Amino acid sequence: MEKQPIIEFKDVKKEYLLYKNEKQRFKAIFTKNKGVKRHSALKGVSFKIYPGESVGIIGKNGAGKSTILKMITGVSFPTDGEVTVRGKVAALLELTAGFSQDMTGMENIYLKGYLLGLSDSEIKEIEPNIIEFADLGEYIDQPVRTYSSGMKMRLGFAININIRPDILVVDEALSVGDAEFKKKCRQKINELIKSGVTVLFVSHSKDAIAETCSRAIFLKDGKVKVDGTVEEAFAEYSKK
Amino acid sequence: MRKIDNTETNRKIGSRSGLAEILCEHKGKGKQIALLSVNELKKKYKGAALGTLWAVIKPSFTLFILWFAFAVGLRSSGDVLFMGEKYRRFEFMLTGYVPWFFISEMIIGGSRSIRSNKQFVTKLSFPVSNIMTFTSLASLYIHLMLCVIMCIVLLCLGHSPSVYNLQFVYYCFMMYLFFLVLSWTTAPLSAFSKDFENLINSIITGLFWLSGVFWSTYDVENPIIKKIMYLNPVNYFVNGYRKCFLTHSFIFDSNYTTETVVFYAELIVLILIGSHYYKKFRKILPDVL
Repeated sequence: MEKQPIIEFKDVKKEYLLYKNEKQRFKAIFTKNKGVKRHSALKGVSFKIYPGESVGIIGKNGAGKSTILKMITGVSFPTDGEVTVRGKVAALLELTAGFSQDMTGMENIYLKGYLLGLSDSEIKEIEPNIIEFADLGEYIDQPVRTYSSGMKMRLGFAININIRPDILVVDEALSVGDAEFKKKCRQKINELIKSGVTVLFVSHSKDAIAETCSRAIFLKDGKVKVDGTVEEAFAEYSKK
Repeated sequence: MRKIDNTETNRKIGSRSGLAEILCEHKGKGKQIALLSVNELKKKYKGAALGTLWAVIKPSFTLFILWFAFAVGLRSSGDVLFMGEKYRRFEFMLTGYVPWFFISEMIIGGSRSIRSNKQFVTKLSFPVSNIMTFTSLASLYIHLMLCVIMCIVLLCLGHSPSVYNLQFVYYCFMMYLFFLVLSWTTAPLSAFSKDFENLINSIITGLFWLSGVFWSTYDVENPIIKKIMYLNPVNYFVNGYRKCFLTHSFIFDSNYTTETVVFYAELIVLILIGSHYYKKFRKILPDVL
């Protein structure tokens, strides 16, 4: 029996509406977006990712990488086609999104936990891991607005990585503070990969992808150009 | 091998109606909404020593000015005739202004709610309709505090407690529900177009004077205008509060059946419109905000 894919894209299309100005936007409330320019970001993308796979996604700026990631994390919706995700997604993209500046670090762990769909008991269970990983000391009971940007990142990362995801989405452009913490993050990510989590890795660097992924998808102009080994994808990617 | 839990999420909104979508989005989200509504209060009044108390101080101050103007200054403004009885101008206004303050908060705050909580829409996978629920809950907390103050003032003015006061629960709940449903339409539209938000803001002042906060809509002489006043849902609540606290009359008083029917018809229409617009804009909001 074939395994069920954990992420499945079926002929997914995405169009963004480009309004000329606010007037056109206001009009669009009452009419059906007539005469509005459209930008097609994805033109029919299909792929399946199975549990335990590590897949790299490459492509130039504007090829549709972010759009795909946004759909997997559930922020954005396809204009046409079907996106199915089976499992909990931890996205190391917007680490501090959803934090409340006026709540303490501790309260924010709960808030973010709820936002990610965890129950009280689940949060309680992973709470010590988060606190230890974020390593904020006494600041954990201070409001987040008093944190430095590095501290916020650390807390965000600690929460996202500790929710025991089924799917991990990593953007290489992610910056999480000093070298030491970066190392700690990399270790944790590798640990998760070894435990069998499905990984999506977005990067421009062949070495980084080759290190973690066995498969790569190369996107060009909103279409899947290559879906194969890392070698194959990069061979096409570096072609002019 | 890791166990994959069966929470299959299909990133598609399609077959369900907007209303079903909104109800589904609220399922099991009680704690999250409660936490966020308290946070909303904190956010609004952060950095002030008196904190959330300001939420009560501001309208109380307005009420004090009203009292001063009508009970001390303009004594000649006289009494107001309401449902056949005379009431002092101040107590009449107090019972109208307290619900009005909540209503205006709900209309303005409701229409702004999505835009001011942008990050939930553009950066997280968040049930967008919950945003309207928790922001309006924050307004409800303030309203309840104001109601307590109102009751104390009324006691001091010599209105003894009555069973009819309990009808307050009905009016308060319906008021919350009505303006929450209204925000299903206004919030996505305002988030989509700033012009719509401005439109709402400019309507508010006019609505205040057209509603029976200052004057009694039940005692207009022209019978046609009196009927037209039934169309304004604000009157249903403002006069409803007076029925609870001043006149002590029953909610479903047979003299006011038309008003009740009109109100429920409006509520149903709003649910339909809200359901339509919420569904229409839910999918594109993350792209346009």
